[in-house]
Amino acid sequence: MSGTFDEKDIEKITKKRVEWEQGTLKKSLERFGVDEPPDRFYTPMDIQDFDFMEKVGFPGTYPYTAGIYACHVPGAGPVTGGGNIGATGKGMVRAGRYSGYGMAEDTRDFYKKEIQRGRTVGPNLAFDLPTQIGIDSDDPRALGEVGKTGVAFDSLQDFEIIYEPYEGKSGLDKIASNWTTNAQAFVIIAAYIALAQKKGIDPKTLRGTPQNDILKEYVARGTYIYPPKESLRIFRDILTYCTEHTPNLNICSIAAYHMREGGATREQALAFHFANAITYLQIGVDAGMNVDDFVGRFSFNTLSGDMEIMKEIAARRAARRMWAKIVRDRFGSQNPRSQIYREAGGFVVGCVSSTKQRALNNLTRTVIGGVAGAFCGYIPSVEPPYDEALGLGWSTEAQQLSEDAARIIQYEAKLTDVMDPLAGSYYIEALTDQIEKEAWDIINKIDEMGGSLKAIENGYMQSAVAKSAYEKQRRLETGEDIIVGVNAFTDESELDVKVQQMVPYPYDAGKQASAEENQIKKLQQLRKNRDNKAVEAALSRLKEIARDENANLMEATIEAVKTYATIGEICGALREVFGEYSAYGAL
Amino acid sequence: MSSKRPIKVLIAKPGLDGHDRGAKVITMGLREAGMEVIYTGLRQTPEMIAKAALEEQPDVVALSCLSGAHRSLFPRVVDELRKRDMSNVLVIGGGIIPDEDAPDLQARGIKAVFGPGTSIKEIAEYIRENV
Repeated sequence: MSGTFDEKDIEKITKKRVEWEQGTLKKSLERFGVDEPPDRFYTPMDIQDFDFMEKVGFPGTYPYTAGIYACHVPGAGPVTGGGNIGATGKGMVRAGRYSGYGMAEDTRDFYKKEIQRGRTVGPNLAFDLPTQIGIDSDDPRALGEVGKTGVAFDSLQDFEIIYEPYEGKSGLDKIASNWTTNAQAFVIIAAYIALAQKKGIDPKTLRGTPQNDILKEYVARGTYIYPPKESLRIFRDILTYCTEHTPNLNICSIAAYHMREGGATREQALAFHFANAITYLQIGVDAGMNVDDFVGRFSFNTLSGDMEIMKEIAARRAARRMWAKIVRDRFGSQNPRSQIYREAGGFVVGCVSSTKQRALNNLTRTVIGGVAGAFCGYIPSVEPPYDEALGLGWSTEAQQLSEDAARIIQYEAKLTDVMDPLAGSYYIEALTDQIEKEAWDIINKIDEMGGSLKAIENGYMQSAVAKSAYEKQRRLETGEDIIVGVNAFTDESELDVKVQQMVPYPYDAGKQASAEENQIKKLQQLRKNRDNKAVEAALSRLKEIARDENANLMEATIEAVKTYATIGEICGALREVFGEYSAYGAL
Repeated sequence: MSSKRPIKVLIAKPGLDGHDRGAKVITMGLREAGMEVIYTGLRQTPEMIAKAALEEQPDVVALSCLSGAHRSLFPRVVDELRKRDMSNVLVIGGGIIPDEDAPDLQARGIKAVFGPGTSIKEIAEYIRENV
């Protein structure tokens, strides 16, 4: 046996366990009048094959269980104002809190204020739904949706406006941006490159992360445009173009987040997002690239989870191990830097744990999540702010409390003073192995189907998520799962603690209300002022390139973006070539 | 209404919002509660929903929206149903809908709004009592 524990010790412990169960434990159960113990106790028996070097290793070395880097960045921690998911430390550039609303002007003004409050990081841009599905603000389907879930982007002009505050020390060559863009990521990336070129900034210096994870859209988020196969062609083009021309830009942020929030179990979310990552990885390999040339630019989005934080901690340890195995063992990577699971982590208990009822309890919940985050190697973040479930934005008061809670976890409780402090715990190591195994089982199942593309085309992933969501709901309704203040502890004697002073949402409600009308006016003006012949020619060229399976459409997209062709026109041109995905309820 | 025929519910996602965990869970839950349920899938315009209703003849049209566009979308669905002579269909809604918006929606024909934390049982009971 290659494990850490001596065979004889295990024998002794096993024997002792039986004695304990039949003696001490039995007596306690009888005293308390129950048949089954309400809890478990873990011992070396549960991890007999445990080998520290094989299962854990040192942080920053294969298999990275304890952490993808050897240590935290010194000085990294929750910083002043402006908010961060995770944090900025020296040497790491991150984008800040997810933000954006209304028109580009409104979002620009919001960032201006944030910069005054001390924000030093780049925009983490939320786009509205019309933008996300590649239609213009005056498209009939956009009615009522413009500027609501994020900023309205119709053309390069909107990026020019949003990025106005980012000059000099905060220039595009200094900051990192985040864009929640998927189906139309090729347009957003092209716009950012075009913007940089216009400002005389070398695209090679650009940093940021387009989400660019189209596969999960079909499973859990819904902002797809084209059918899956055609979308992967676009992914390939972004991958090969950006690897060459914008080597400091991340290619994608492959998410377990949305599928988890959509109801997937922990193991399903892990497995499904890795299956998607494998698909994307394979695309790069099939395009003739060496895995070490590009996979270091893949990143992950593991936001979300649930209140069972020990399992969440174990899942993240398992994820790091699994990605290392996938990249090194399955795809033959030779560069350790390619094998690390770079993630935007946090929201460890999930937005899904936030309740509308007795909303202040969400602060309690997310503090627990922040502690868990510290225990699994994150800079603690206490997210989302407690008023998450109340509407469509967070008050600055709630944000302040979240920031302070993260600071307390790090600076008072000092929970980041030890890396992977739960390493070696019989429970956590057993749990990590178990979750890893169950996730591999699901990945193998998807492999047998032919990969995640097939698993999406045949509806397997979508229905698995829906079933898990339904099973969760049933457990809530039978009371098997408890949510305090929602299905338990809800009688009249309970107090609904409310906050006395509510600081308003940071977004201007008036501006948000008038955004649609004003954006449409602006758009119509743009169409008048630009060179429409150039637009037509550029769109024509783009279609031609799109029709050639082997051609890369990024250059043509950048050219089209520069003529101020709108996102609706560009995506519309490709709709003509690729068709549109339609998901009529397989349910 | 015949007590033999099951209650028919059309669950729809108006607008561009892509979050349909709730819609799917309620679809499955109401089916388990003995109702006949059709789920339209994402990206339905008010016209598409009304056309589907015309075809399916449901007793209830249940709308789900989490993007903040409920105030313009939900009443438009009610209007499209009225245009097609389906004013007697019970229209209800759910999703992320601030409490302040519920009275206005109710005044415009969305008879009940079910927020986060609602159980399938509650919705099923409401439907049974109000169709």
